Amino acid sequence: MAYRLTIEPLGETVEVDDGQTILDAALRKGIYLPHACCHGLCATCKIDVLEGEVDHGDASSFALMDFERDEGKTLACCATLQSDVVISAEVEADPDAQSIPVLDFVGKVSRLETLTPTIKGVFIELEQPLHFQAGQYVNLAIPGEHFARPFSLANAPGGSSIELNVRIVPGGAGTGYVHNRLQVGDTVRLSGPYGRFFVRKSAQLPTIFMAGGSGLSSPRSMIHELLKERCAQPITLVYGQRTKDELYYHEEFLALAQQNPTFTYVPALSHEPQDSGWSGFRGFVHQAAQAHFNGDFRGHKAYLCGPPLMIDACITTLMQGRLFERDIYTEKFISSADAQQARSPLFKNV
Amino acid sequence: MDMEASKKKLGLKERYNHLTRGLGWETTYQPMEKVFPYTRYEGIKIHDWDKWEDPFRLTMDAYWKYQGEKEKKLYAIIDAFAQNNGHLGVSDARYINTLKLFIQGVSPLEYMAHRGFAHVGRQFDGVSARIACQMQSVDELRHAQTQMHTVSNYNKYYNGMHSWRHWHDRVWYLSVPKSFFDDAMSAGPFEFVVAISFAFEYVLTNLLFVPFMSGAAYNGDMATVTFGFSAQSDESRHMTLGLEIIKFILEQDPGNVPIVQRWLDKWFWRGYKVLTLVSMMMDYMLPKKVMSWKEAWEIYGEQNGGALFNDLARYGIRKPKGWEQASIEKDHLSHQAWSTFYNYGAAALFHTWTPTDGEKDWLSAKYPDTFDKLYRPRFEHWEQQAKEGKRFYNGTLPMLCTTCQIPMFFTEPTDPTKICYRESDYKGDKYHFCSDHCKDIFDYEPEKYVQSWLPVHQIYQGNCFNPGVDPTVPGFDPLRAVLDYYHTNFGRDNFDFEGSEDQKNFARWHGDDAGGA
Repeated sequence: MAYRLTIEPLGETVEVDDGQTILDAALRKGIYLPHACCHGLCATCKIDVLEGEVDHGDASSFALMDFERDEGKTLACCATLQSDVVISAEVEADPDAQSIPVLDFVGKVSRLETLTPTIKGVFIELEQPLHFQAGQYVNLAIPGEHFARPFSLANAPGGSSIELNVRIVPGGAGTGYVHNRLQVGDTVRLSGPYGRFFVRKSAQLPTIFMAGGSGLSSPRSMIHELLKERCAQPITLVYGQRTKDELYYHEEFLALAQQNPTFTYVPALSHEPQDSGWSGFRGFVHQAAQAHFNGDFRGHKAYLCGPPLMIDACITTLMQGRLFERDIYTEKFISSADAQQARSPLFKNV
Repeated sequence: MDMEASKKKLGLKERYNHLTRGLGWETTYQPMEKVFPYTRYEGIKIHDWDKWEDPFRLTMDAYWKYQGEKEKKLYAIIDAFAQNNGHLGVSDARYINTLKLFIQGVSPLEYMAHRGFAHVGRQFDGVSARIACQMQSVDELRHAQTQMHTVSNYNKYYNGMHSWRHWHDRVWYLSVPKSFFDDAMSAGPFEFVVAISFAFEYVLTNLLFVPFMSGAAYNGDMATVTFGFSAQSDESRHMTLGLEIIKFILEQDPGNVPIVQRWLDKWFWRGYKVLTLVSMMMDYMLPKKVMSWKEAWEIYGEQNGGALFNDLARYGIRKPKGWEQASIEKDHLSHQAWSTFYNYGAAALFHTWTPTDGEKDWLSAKYPDTFDKLYRPRFEHWEQQAKEGKRFYNGTLPMLCTTCQIPMFFTEPTDPTKICYRESDYKGDKYHFCSDHCKDIFDYEPEKYVQSWLPVHQIYQGNCFNPGVDPTVPGFDPLRAVLDYYHTNFGRDNFDFEGSEDQKNFARWHGDDAGGA
């Protein structure tokens, strides 16, 4: 049977199905609760249960310790309701966050494009438009698998056509399906939009995008949208790959930089053969940014997307250039392995 | 329709902003730097107090509600403990000596923390920082008080707890924790919070609280476990305050980084030295062991602290200077400390003893590289002497390090058979130190540390006798006279556990006394 969940301090009430988690119920009603790993490991979604009973589900005993359970804490991503419940969450009104309810979508693959030897562009026509904020992601259902896999939306918001860029992960069930089995005309199911990775436009500050590996999708969506909206603030994309043939959408960004005086494009290659004729920056993304900005990032907002090592190096570089946590945004995909990493609680978001 | 918008309450952040930013103002009758005169001379530059992110947002009404609830729970348990003769339920009367060390050495620091945070809670220019410190000040007063109340029940039955406040300002080994806190209190407000909120409450607190509280749990002392839990639920707030302080200062100005680095070098070492007392408590004083000091240092120091300093590296902060030496010393610290107290057991206000055979084997297993080789023979020798009726008591007192005020018993980092001596000359006088790092601390601020009130020096200068005592009379016993000045119950508070009143009473209460009483 369904119970009612009231979320303080918003004072909003939602219905929660039997077995449905608090996080899922809230997100589906467009109420953002902080969360990251979604399976009880990272404790980002810790909330206070003010009234009623919950089942803590699979919450890790490290992420939710016994004494915290006694104090009425729970993890929204694992907790299910045993009665009507009132929770209190650290939700702050972010002026740039839109409350968009998560919905289920059905679509057909309209086109598949090989962007690089390891990355496929998947173009999907949805049966209904998907409303999202540039930078958000969807969960794509993988046929025959219990879990869906998250993929960032690579196109600017608007309409019912979406684009996903999928890098093959050796042995990965989700990316293997996309690369090896998915055909034009196939029906796919997905839900979304998810994520807290979006541009803080109200800050009215110059933006730096730092992207590497398959992390280009969100920045590309964001940049397209900003340029479409004729954003007056300078935009810089620092985009890195190992080699030139992995540098997908390179021509597109060159063209955008030509057409838009506010947009600067800084490509960087870390493993390009010396004799290839590449005249751009050689090295990693953080090094390219350091050189381009002369080591001073003050007065910007930075958006980071890419592999964990790249993100880490970029954060360090930004902080050494005196841009700190409150102005740095990353989209984190947490796996079970990441949760074991020895990090201190010094930083909350980066 | 399953979504209703009821009356919208203020968010926690907004409510907290009303309490903090909303109650502050820029002064006009007097300039701000006159109203807040202490926040500039340390060299720390703060450009924008509004960048302070409240590490926790506990409004006053919620604060009182939570704390009231905690008190209710705690005092119910303390009452039940007293009614059920909880003092009989501990593993062994030797355990009580850890409580003596706690009430003598740690609880007074809680009270000093209360005063220290009240002070900086007045002095910071930023309202939010002031409020956070004021709340912690109230917490610390509560901690001191609950600890006194918990231990007072034991004080009815055991020796060595009756005059702890008097002792804290006088007794030679208690000047270790006392001088640590006095050093912080007499520094500027930024150094105080880096020292106490960050270096101590954040980096080192687990090494203090976990051993005492787990030790209590393992040894049947549920009253202490409960005040521990009650205090620790505040501790998480204190720790997040420590984290915000360090981030805030480091982000405000690049010039702050080297100042903070020097404080971290200093306060890591000062705090670590105080924990020497904890190391011997863990390895020697707990009848039922929790973990060894070495294991605790590896988990809470090397592992957790290591992760923290990896993150701090982003600000250009490196590990404190003494970090490596602390890891070298983990194999020696507790053994050297307990040996020293065993030596000076006549002048200590708790009991000392040699470890039992089972305990020696535990120590061999935990310290395979050092215990059998360096320390077991020493304890076996003393054990043999005691069996022959010649329990060894050192009749003098040890020289203290001018900085940390610990007896100079530490060995060279490279040679555990050689005592480490360092010295500095300042204005014609010679000052002695136990380590390179203590010497460094002195050399940077000699004018501060030449004022150290070193208990052993004071005793030898004749400043620690009761009024009217005449040291020139024939047969004068200086140690006895000092212990009188301390308000010691001579023969009950001091000497070996073997043969002590605590031991006899505990046995009698358990009906183990063959002779009857």
